[in-house]
Amino acid sequence: MNRPANMTELFEKLNDLKSVFRYGQKLIPIIQSLIDFMQETVPLLENINSSIADSTTKIPKASNQIADVTEATELATTEILDIVDLINSDIDSIEKDLKGLTEREKQKSKIIQKLTEAVKDNPEAKSLLINYEELNNEYEELNSVLSVLQKIKNDAYNITLSLQVQDITSQQLSAVNHLISGVQNKLSLLLVDFQETNNDELKTMKIAVPDDASFNPEARYGKDVSQQQLADSLVNNNGFRTTQDEIDKLFS
Amino acid sequence: MELKFLIVDDSVTMRRIVFNSLRNLGFSNYVEAADGKEALVKLAADDSINFVITDWNMPVLSGLELTRAIRSDQKLSSLPILMVTTRGVKEDIIEALQAKVNNYVVKPFTPQVLREKIEQILSTN
Repeated sequence: MNRPANMTELFEKLNDLKSVFRYGQKLIPIIQSLIDFMQETVPLLENINSSIADSTTKIPKASNQIADVTEATELATTEILDIVDLINSDIDSIEKDLKGLTEREKQKSKIIQKLTEAVKDNPEAKSLLINYEELNNEYEELNSVLSVLQKIKNDAYNITLSLQVQDITSQQLSAVNHLISGVQNKLSLLLVDFQETNNDELKTMKIAVPDDASFNPEARYGKDVSQQQLADSLVNNNGFRTTQDEIDKLFS
Repeated sequence: MELKFLIVDDSVTMRRIVFNSLRNLGFSNYVEAADGKEALVKLAADDSINFVITDWNMPVLSGLELTRAIRSDQKLSSLPILMVTTRGVKEDIIEALQAKVNNYVVKPFTPQVLREKIEQILSTN
């Protein structure tokens, strides 16, 4: 046995051990601070956990509230449409009566013209008839009222057109509801398996809108006509010959 | 021949707005359905329907699927179909045209646009 060589090896090992101890001594405060950090963090994590649990239980309520809003706006919109229909029906009825009166005014005017012709040799009677016609002919006024009624009808119709906003916002709310359900699923995953949950897996989980969704998450209410112009262009070109330049031009 | 419209939309509001617009254009004969499946039932039961106005996004059976179903049915295949939808991106419009809708209206629509598209369809059919 080669004693000096063994001793050298022993000293080397002792030196290594010494280094390890020195390193360990340096590590101790770090480990201590890590333990302190863990002690402080655990209650925080517990808080997060209970917050997630709390949020998870509240989400269905939020989702229901959104559904309630959609239902309420649809009900209110239907009521507005009912009222507009009643207004239109009343206007139609008034219009019908006024048109009858206008027709009678025309007849009266024709009779007065015939009477005026019949009494043309009696200047006094003729003058009286002319005065009578001037005082009693409401044809112009009736026509003016009829055109105001037509304007009210158009305005009422425009109100109904604006109510398209209800359908569009309800689709937006459905999209929000879908997102909320997606968030709830993610939170539930965190809650069920808090420690083992693979964070990367959660990050890559997307809240996708299914192809058969009964809403369009991109639904927008506005006066922008570029999408209709694009549709017209594609329809006119049978959908396939529109160039990207033409499409870009529509959106520039 | 009198036009009889089938208005297909899951929104009661939209069905009424489309109907009001049709009435303003002088058409008052219509039936309605809340989704594509109901529309197919109505079409099977009523031979006098000769114009379909349909939304795209609907539960049970979408407007796109309804269009495909109509086009693949020998008896119904020539029915004019007007798609009225919030979907206004190029890919969607092309998909609808490939499914053979006759024309396409993006919501919110104006009465002028609706009238124009109905007239275009009627003039080519």
